[in-house]
Amino acid sequence: MRFALIGLALLSASAPALAEPDLKGFWNLAFEGEPDPALIAKLPPGTVVIEDTGVVEFPEDEYGGLILKPEALARARAWQPADEMKLERVCLPPSIVYAIQGPFPFEVHQTPGLIVLKYEYFDQTRLIFMDGRPHPPADAPHSKMGHSVGRWDGDELVIDTTHIAASTITNNGLDHSDSIHMVERYKLSADGTRLMATQWFEDPAVLDNTGARFIQWAKQPGQHVFPYECDPSFALEYQQAGEVD
Amino acid sequence: MNPSKALSTAALCLAPLAAQAHHSFTVYFDPAKEVTITGTVTSFRFTNPHGTIVLAVADAQGRVREWRAETNAPVVLQRRGWTRASVKPGDRITIDGWPSRDGKPYIRLRRAVHQDGRLVGTAPFGRQDQS
Repeated sequence: MRFALIGLALLSASAPALAEPDLKGFWNLAFEGEPDPALIAKLPPGTVVIEDTGVVEFPEDEYGGLILKPEALARARAWQPADEMKLERVCLPPSIVYAIQGPFPFEVHQTPGLIVLKYEYFDQTRLIFMDGRPHPPADAPHSKMGHSVGRWDGDELVIDTTHIAASTITNNGLDHSDSIHMVERYKLSADGTRLMATQWFEDPAVLDNTGARFIQWAKQPGQHVFPYECDPSFALEYQQAGEVD
Repeated sequence: MNPSKALSTAALCLAPLAAQAHHSFTVYFDPAKEVTITGTVTSFRFTNPHGTIVLAVADAQGRVREWRAETNAPVVLQRRGWTRASVKPGDRITIDGWPSRDGKPYIRLRRAVHQDGRLVGTAPFGRQDQS
């Protein structure tokens, strides 16, 4: 028995460590493809999967099955689209809750202790801490990208994010609070050309249920994100339209 | 609930949510309608979140009206062969796209074509390229 244990220990020591999936590269939204059943099955019971990824945008007063608290619903219905087309607002980035599903690419830079997600959309960057640290205290600063910690669950990367500053969920007046909690689960397709993810979120201050999206991206080797450098004076173009008629 | 969490929740109830949404195609433009305009470019803004082509468009009576065509984000345009020199003031071009829901002379560009028939960029834009 003793020899067996020693042998097992030696075998463990000499065997190469199982490599974590390599997610590095340039990923652009894939407009086709069915949701991965295995990822969907791992969502918490009762989660509604909202279908506004990439191509789809909800019209006003449509929230894809999310159940809004009365106060949130009243705010959403009072929302005026023209308010977004003002100089002071047009370049405010949405939080990662909405930004993650948009038709813009991102780069993954991966090390054992830290994964960096560099998004083209509004030049945003996320740090995913893989070193086991906890989230900061609840009253720590919030940002549009939030605070993210990650871990590997087999071949899947699980990211837990808090401290996300209030912003839109569905781009039509429904806003999340700064208490929203988001969990993403990423995995590569069998051939490594697709990156698939579920993005689950809960926000009891705003929603009576929990929501999720399924998103997938296609790998495009050799490309890089462009600088976004949002120019707010774009809002003036819309305001000036028709003024001289 | 710890004190900091209680404080955070109380603040949330008192303060309006300082949220924002990105400019939405569906909310601003009517995907069921199409409009085509031909005119002379007076300016071309090639900056994110959207480019803008301003066009002087004459009607059948010769009255000139200023139209604006909003493009996809230039980061998207660049991958489809556009540059900030793709359209210049003085160019005569035809643009088709989706009209603004509010009736303004403002459209979302699907395609721009030079007077000699050359497409601006390498391919038109569809609804799936909405940002």
